[in-house]
Amino acid sequence: MRPDLRDPRLALLSLAMLSLIAAFLAPKIAVRRPSFDLLAVVDITGSMNVRDYSAGGRPISRLDAVKAALRALLAELPCPSHVGLGIFSERKTFLLFEPIDVCVDFAPLEASIEALDWRMAWEGDSRVSAGLFSAIDMARQLKSDLLFFTDGQEAPPLPARGAPTFDGRAGELRGLLVGVGGYELSPIPKFDDRGREIGFLGVEEVPHESRFGLPPEGAERREGYNARNAPFGAAAAVGVEHLSSVKEDYLRSLAEKTGLAYAHLEDGKRLWTDYAAVAAARMREAAFDLSPFFGAAAALFTFFAAAGPSLALALVQLRRAAPFNRHPQPGRSK
Amino acid sequence: MTALGFDHIEALFLAPLAMIPFLRSVLRDTPIPSLLSAPADSLSALVANILKLSGVIAIGASLFGAAGPHIAGAEQERFAEGAQLVMLIDRSGSMNETFAGRTPSGGEESKAAAAKRILKRFVEARRHDLVGVAAFSTAPMLVTPITDHIDATQAAIDAIDRPGLDYTNIARGLAMALSMFKTSDADLSRAVLLISDGAGVIDPKLRDDLKAEFRKTNVSLYWLFLRTEGSRGIADRAAEDDESPQAAPERHLDLFFRSLGVPYRAFEVESAEATEEALKQIDRLERHPVLYVEKMPRTDLSAWAFALAFVATSLLVVAKLAQVGLGVEGRAR
Repeated sequence: MRPDLRDPRLALLSLAMLSLIAAFLAPKIAVRRPSFDLLAVVDITGSMNVRDYSAGGRPISRLDAVKAALRALLAELPCPSHVGLGIFSERKTFLLFEPIDVCVDFAPLEASIEALDWRMAWEGDSRVSAGLFSAIDMARQLKSDLLFFTDGQEAPPLPARGAPTFDGRAGELRGLLVGVGGYELSPIPKFDDRGREIGFLGVEEVPHESRFGLPPEGAERREGYNARNAPFGAAAAVGVEHLSSVKEDYLRSLAEKTGLAYAHLEDGKRLWTDYAAVAAARMREAAFDLSPFFGAAAALFTFFAAAGPSLALALVQLRRAAPFNRHPQPGRSK
Repeated sequence: MTALGFDHIEALFLAPLAMIPFLRSVLRDTPIPSLLSAPADSLSALVANILKLSGVIAIGASLFGAAGPHIAGAEQERFAEGAQLVMLIDRSGSMNETFAGRTPSGGEESKAAAAKRILKRFVEARRHDLVGVAAFSTAPMLVTPITDHIDATQAAIDAIDRPGLDYTNIARGLAMALSMFKTSDADLSRAVLLISDGAGVIDPKLRDDLKAEFRKTNVSLYWLFLRTEGSRGIADRAAEDDESPQAAPERHLDLFFRSLGVPYRAFEVESAEATEEALKQIDRLERHPVLYVEKMPRTDLSAWAFALAFVATSLLVVAKLAQVGLGVEGRAR
């Protein structure tokens, strides 16, 4: 008798062989996968040294919390995303390097983030809105999204008329304005000129009011007010500018003005979900190797060629054994 | 190192499926009253075992191949000519002017743009260097650590022609550059390449610290001085024999560098071409054997696994085609 060519097991084995040939040829298809380009700009001004985050039960500074979150974000980004790094101090954003491939150049990228330090700041001022606007400009040139990390503490304080106006187009750039810091006021560490920590800023060491421009409304009721000689009143203003918390209302208003989204910094996971919600995904071609699927398919075909008849038999017996099927009552089914 | 790695380890979770040929055959069952009616036959037993084994191999090797097995590429240490370099780049505002001291207009190139173009080519040509980038204005900034990732270095150099910051504080910048070298690499050839368009007065308090640090790390120093036309040069003395560092900072910085006791050279350049020429000289000077790690490409084993699975499956198919029944009663199920 000739071999039975209609045996399904022969067909399964032939399929297995075809799958293996396909796997051996290692076919690749080009798939378009989303990836992200972003510029991370980190505020490195003095208030970022405030230790109001904690890691492993130890208080860590806002800057350290930003670094940890950025590192976690890098690990989440799909290949081949690109990340650039900038720092903000005074009123400018300073680009350290243009976006580089997160996957290929992970080690130097991580080391550069780790090296961020308040000592890199070229001036002590912290004009957040001006820094943000220059960062937006820079990110637009680099064609990336923007992640701007700041606690929103303007130093010196904003003049009475409020923050400068944004003259770009709101919403042109996608990105996140990340508010860093706790909601409670905390003292700001102070350093001597060799970089050693020497306590905290005192109430008399920082200006509490901007005396540029026009005085605020109601200044004429202040003690010692004189329209020409003392338009802000005679006494120096005393406030809480020597303490710091995240200025969320201010940052939200900046975010609204510029069309960025606002998020509070919690941890890397939250940062990634917050960023992914607003990010501009860039579709890039990537080769996708199909051979693992063909290999697994071949294994399953051969498996069913051996086990198929027994499985089929077992299935039939199971059905026969099932009490419901033994006395089918079609008339009663709804 | 010859560690076996897998891209899709999940596929191996199906490995128990490979045991099925021991329990079930791919061949058709033949009803026969008793096995005792056939004589014991060692050849048949051998064939049966080979077929079982083929089944196991067919499933197992397919899954093994699907898991993407590979031997990780070994890291081989090799010697090449090169150096460990830290590029310490002046990012003060004046770097954005041309060599003539003007704001660039038309086809003119700023000092920073010229430095960027030339440094990028320099890095590109010296593939075996380990390069780090630091920037300084009033404060020093670590941009990228000493690394063999050329793309990261290029990206850092790409950023140097953006608007600069305030002033030039060379001392802190040098301290930052020296701190980037690891003390464990002291026997390698190491150099700081200082690129600036001006000098500054080094704080006398920092002079001794810097000198000690240079001697300790034994890092050679190249100063690429991008001189603006008409400004003071390294050799120029101040008028009226005023010998204070404030009056002629370039000359005094040069004197200070000479006193460091480490290999030092200054290149005073006034144009992009001269900058290129200076870098060519540095390129020749900094050619020492350096140890670098070359990653060998990994060896992919999946093709071998698929080939083995194919042979085993073919055997099963051949057995299947060769199977004949005992007669009319041997009906296929």
